Amino acid sequence: MNRRQFLGLAYSSGSSLLLGGCALNRFSEGVGNATQPLNERIEALLQGKGKVPEFRRDQVDPGALLVNSFNGMPRLDPARYRLRVEGLVRQPLQLNLADLAALPQQEITIRHVCVEGWAAIVNWSGVRLADVLALAGFSSLGGYLAIESADQFFTTWDITSALHPQTLLATGMNGAPLPVVNGAPVRLASPIKLGYKLSKWVTGLEVIPSLDSLRRGTWEDNGYEWFAGL
Amino acid sequence: MTASRRHHPLWTRAFHAFNVVVLLVMAASGLQIYNANPVFGGQGGPTVPELFTLGGWLAGGRDWHFGFMGLYASNLGLWIALLIQRRRDRLAHSGDLATLNASSNLAKRRVASHRVVYTLMLILLAFGLITGLAMYKPAQFWWLSGLFSFGELFGATSWHTLRVFHLATIPAIALLTVVHLALSWRIGGWLLWRSILA
Repeated sequence: MNRRQFLGLAYSSGSSLLLGGCALNRFSEGVGNATQPLNERIEALLQGKGKVPEFRRDQVDPGALLVNSFNGMPRLDPARYRLRVEGLVRQPLQLNLADLAALPQQEITIRHVCVEGWAAIVNWSGVRLADVLALAGFSSLGGYLAIESADQFFTTWDITSALHPQTLLATGMNGAPLPVVNGAPVRLASPIKLGYKLSKWVTGLEVIPSLDSLRRGTWEDNGYEWFAGL
Repeated sequence: MTASRRHHPLWTRAFHAFNVVVLLVMAASGLQIYNANPVFGGQGGPTVPELFTLGGWLAGGRDWHFGFMGLYASNLGLWIALLIQRRRDRLAHSGDLATLNASSNLAKRRVASHRVVYTLMLILLAFGLITGLAMYKPAQFWWLSGLFSFGELFGATSWHTLRVFHLATIPAIALLTVVHLALSWRIGGWLLWRSILA
């Protein structure tokens, strides 16, 4: 192909994009698969280990936080609730809500960003995920964390993001106990991940050495990016 | 006529052609993402017809948008760098504004205004990149997304302001493209078009 043919092809393919968009849709996954590995490496490099700036409490807008649930709303009995911590840990744990309340309590006022495009500034309170993992004595061989929820929602995180000082297992929202619809009794909250990584109704944490490419997460396995950093 | 044998340099033609393709991909996949939660109206707000979207659904739109953002950024960055370095007189400069202010020579005025228009297009595309980065990494680039908190003066969150400005790249670039096409046609006609297209 000579230069003229190449440029001609570039323009005609450009103009046919508008009309042929539907035909191109089947290449979406291929484009994603080809580019996400590099994008995710850059995302991980960009992500600092320190805290990102937070918002003021008066910027919280409770009405902006929409509720997207994938499988209804499970109601967990707070008295019988247990958080399993297992996998590559020295001491597997079954923590109840009193155990979590005994750990140092943190508060963050951050922007919760949904993959759909909307965002809401929310105040979350709870314990650091890092503190819970440290309590279980997680192994340095565990590069990833698998998170299970009562509604069968599932996701996996890189351990660095899980250990970030603003990644919380939240039990409170906007100064009140966490509402059931927002994930009570325990959910993930963090300023550094998109909303679909922030599981509600969390019941299990498993430190794992590697990712199973076929089971990376409920939404991830359906085509969304795995790292999903902000 | 010698003009018939003159071409823009190969690198200008290549960047120009590639930019057209990448822009169409970014705009169509961007509108696909828009449809997941319309900037105006939110969930249930008016969506863009499927004809103008690319990806099929939200994740597909994101595949294209974030798959091509690197190409968009490097093509635009290299192009602007080369234009500034090697072809300073191809970009608009203060002389063009003086021409537009003072000259009554219609042909000169057209050339000057055309240079202003396509220089504005490059600036606008860079702005689209900046607003995009501010939304792609709002936590890591907090200093960038924070700039858009001026919207709070008008009762809009910095996030909504960002979304509006990023989306506005599409109608703005479409408008400038129409002017770009019209002016270049008036200035050089088919010969000028062929010198950049082929």
